[in-house]
Formats: sequence, C-alpha cells, structure tokens
Amino acid sequence: MKQLISLEINGEVHELAVAPQDSLLRVLREDLGLIGTKKGCDSGGCGSCTVNVEGKAVYSCMTYAMSVQDRPIVTIEGVGENGKLDPLQQAFIDAGAVQCGYCTCGTIMAARELLATVSSPDEEQIRHAIAGNLCRCTGYQKIVDAIKLAAANSA
Amino acid sequence: MSLATFENYFLPGNGREVVALLQEYGERALILAGGSFVHGLAARDLLSGVDVFIDIQKLGLANIVTDPDGLQVGAMTRFTDFEKVPEIQNDPGWGAVKDALSYPPAQIMNAATVGGSIAAVCPYFDLPTALLAVGGKVKVESNTGSREINLKDFSTSLFESSLGVDEFVTGLVLPQPVSGSVSAFIKLATNANDLAIVNVAVQINLDRSGVCRSASVALGGGVNEITLRSAAAEKLLEGQKLTDELMKAAGTAVQVDISPMADHRASAEYRSAMASVLTERALQRAIARLTRSS
Ligand SMILES: Cc1cc2nc3c(=O)[nH]c(=O)nc-3n(C[C@H](O)[C@H](O)[C@H](O)COP(=O)(O)OP(=O)(O)OC[C@H]3O[C@@H](n4cnc5c(N)ncnc54)[C@H](O)[C@@H]3O)c2cc1C
Ligand code: FES
Ligand code: FES
Repeated sequence: MKQLISLEINGEVHELAVAPQDSLLRVLREDLGLIGTKKGCDSGGCGSCTVNVEGKAVYSCMTYAMSVQDRPIVTIEGVGENGKLDPLQQAFIDAGAVQCGYCTCGTIMAARELLATVSSPDEEQIRHAIAGNLCRCTGYQKIVDAIKLAAANSA
Repeated sequence: MSLATFENYFLPGNGREVVALLQEYGERALILAGGSFVHGLAARDLLSGVDVFIDIQKLGLANIVTDPDGLQVGAMTRFTDFEKVPEIQNDPGWGAVKDALSYPPAQIMNAATVGGSIAAVCPYFDLPTALLAVGGKVKVESNTGSREINLKDFSTSLFESSLGVDEFVTGLVLPQPVSGSVSAFIKLATNANDLAIVNVAVQINLDRSGVCRSASVALGGGVNEITLRSAAAEKLLEGQKLTDELMKAAGTAVQVDISPMADHRASAEYRSAMASVLTERALQRAIARLTRSS
C-alpha cells in the first residue's frame, strides 16, 4: 500500500506516494528522474548507487525510501553550485579518473563525505573511504589521485 | 530488487507501540533498523509471509552511555557512531570490537546498527563475533516489560534468536573489561566488501607472571550455524602461560567445537583449517597489545 511522504532531495521537498518496499534508488531514478545515481548490483556492495543522507554516504539501493523522510538527501545532481562543477567533479575530469563512468557518481558521493570531515586525507584514508565503491575500469589509482586533487583544490 | 509487495510501513514513536504492532501482526511484521540485512533478504525473496515493516528509528535508541561498569549501547546505534566511542578506541580489552568495526565499507558503517547486527543472527557477520568474545547482555522489551539475555544465549540457530514474537532488542550492555585484558579480532574474506569466510575474536586476561586467568575465544563466518565460543580452546588456555606453542594448540583445539559449512565462499575443509590459523593469529594480535599497554 502506497503512503504519501515527503523527501528532501538536493534542497527541494518532494511529496510523493511510495510503497513500503520501495528503495530510495528506485524512487530517485524512476519517480524523480534523477538518473545520475546508478543502479549496479542493487544489493549493497558495488557502490554505484551511493548518495548522502544527512551528509553520510549510504547505498540508496538498500535504503528504504520511507526511512529517509525528513532527512536531507543529496544526490550527484545536487553537488555543484550555480552550474559550476563541485571540486570533486572537476578533479575527476582533470585527473582522468573517469573511463566508462558508471561508478563515478557513487564514488564522488562517497568521497564527498570524506572531504567534509577530513580536509587533507592521506592515501589510506581515501582508499578506506571508497572501499565500498567498485570500479571495473580505472584500477583506482586515478580515482585516488582525483580525490587528493580535489582536497588540495578545496584547501 | 524485491518482488514482494508490502502492506504497511510503521514508524512508531515508543517501545509500547512497537510491542503492540508486533502483537497485532505477529509473523507478518519485521523490525527494520538500518535495513542493510533486510534488504538482502528481500532481494533474495526470503521474506515470504512478511508484509509489514516496523521502523524503529524514532525510538531514541541511538544513545551510548558510558559508566564505570561498562557501556550501554542503544540498539539503533550505527556502526559509525559505535566506532567513535573513546573506550572502544582506547581500551585494549575492547580491541576486538574496534578491529571488527574497521572492516565494513563507509556505506555499511553509516547504515548498519548494533541491534540489527545482533538480531539478524547471521553467522557471517563480524561484529557479533567480537561482541561474543568480550561478553555482555542483550536488552529486550516486550509487553511484560524488559529483560536481559546473555549474548551467548541469544542466538539459537541459523537466523533464529531467543526473542519472543512480541519482543525486540533495545540495546546492549557491555561489561568493562577487567584491568589487564586484551582482545583482538581477525577476519578472512575474499574482498573488502564481502562477508567473512572465517572470523575469530579473543579476549584474554593475564596475571603479572603471564599466566592466563581467563580467556574467551569466539568464532564466526560459517564455522557453524551460529557464532560460537570454543570451550575447548578456552580450557586449554586458562591457567597456563601463553607461549607460542600454547596459542597454536588453542588453534587446533577449536576443531572440537566447530562444524563448518560449505558454500560458494569456501569449502568446509578450508574453513576448518583457517579457523585454527586465525585463532592462533588473533591470540598473537591480542598479546601484542598487552606488551604495548603495560
Ligand atoms: C555490502 C555489505 C557489507 C557488509 N560488511 C560487513 C562487515 O564487514 N562486517 C560486519 O560485521 N557486517 C557486515 N555486513 C553486515 C551488516 O553489519 C549487517 O547487515 C547489519 O549489521 C544489520 O544491521 P541493520 O541495522 O542494517 O539491520 P536490519 O537489516 O534493519 O535488520 C536485521 C535483522 O534484525 C532484525 N532487527 C533489527 N533490529 C532489531 C531490533 N532492535 N530488535 C529486534 N530485531 C531487530 C530485523 O528484523 C532483521 O531481521 C555487511 C553487509 C553488507 C550488505
Ligand atoms: S546498486 Fe547499490 S550497492 Fe550496488
Ligand atoms: S570508470 Fe568504469 S566502472 Fe569505474
């Protein structure tokens, strides 16, 4: 049975009807058209669906939509400001950290939590922060470089 | 993605409402904490007959209280917040808990709850093995009030606990480790994001001469249907000086108590062999902390 709930996504409040079993991922992509958040494994483990809830990285595929009512959510669509890319997005481009790009949005959302809490993380902290995000293309080194670059550029 | 459809999603504001819902819906209802395990069950279509979620995030159970007797940890405490507790970070007697919390990826740390990790009774999880080694009690509530269940009596069989139908977990009480205790945890897994093939946690207390006053050795990761303590290994260690040979022998001794499962991650033989190796290593890791802390 669907219930009417409100979700705060990227600063905007959406009223919508969701079913108890609906994941946040499904609602984002299918009801709201926010398809920057990707569906990979849909079972918690690949990281492509990562979003921030109250600033923390979570897998949206295993987050029930009803469980995040009134808890601010940020998706990749909400990270830049006024048409300007977020430092992480820019750094991923500059460091060549994107190949097929399927993992990119999720990895950026995981890195975003790290940079919000640690201003200049070391390599180990970076690798730990993105351990829940799989990339089948890059071999991770350029992703790590990009996160370092973003940290340096934001300092 | 789950094929099942659910009838209702409740967000009760206190324990009485939870109990009332559990009584009304019985086996149809499932408590939802962080949802990280529930989601997996739903995705594998393992929730037949369940069509009501009771989300317990609004109960105010995410608090941690520290007192001289130990720690009281609310059931809805997320792993991220549990890991940050200074006592967990600094007391070598709780080293196993700290170690276990160093493995999960950020997204799981931010979602998974202490209560959910225990209540799931999944032998492949890490935190329950560490908690079993350091000992403690699970606090539960029902319409007859609240009671405490010893951690070692909580799990009864695969995915089954000693909770009654209208009972739920409200928290965990962890006793302050006896001074001079050290503990450690080790997990063997295929990758950073996978469940354990075998995991082992130990807590030991030595007297000044290096003789073991008490030992607990807990094993999980599919070495049995439920996470268990190895009485054989503990008996071997207690009253003895902890030499390299004795720690190796304790590793061998766990064989008496385990009956490993075989699955896509590992054969029973491999789990069995690794249980001995990891037990010895966990003991060594704990001992190393003793030298540092004294
Ligand atoms: C990708 C991935 C990686 C993981 N890595 C690790 C790891 O490295 N180490 C590790 O230890 N674990 C790991 N886990 C397991 C994780 O720790 C558990 O899924 C988590 O602890 C379950 O807690 P939850 O709050 O999400 O529970 P939920 O999924 O909400 O619930 C779990 C079960 O317990 C019941 N329940 C929950 N709370 C209560 C309560 N208060 N009272 C009664 N019943 C309750 C639910 O009904 C359900 O049956 C991993 C899981 C995933 C998906
Ligand atoms: S789609 Fe959510 S973790 Fe893979
Ligand atoms: S760039 Fe292709 S999966 Fe990461």
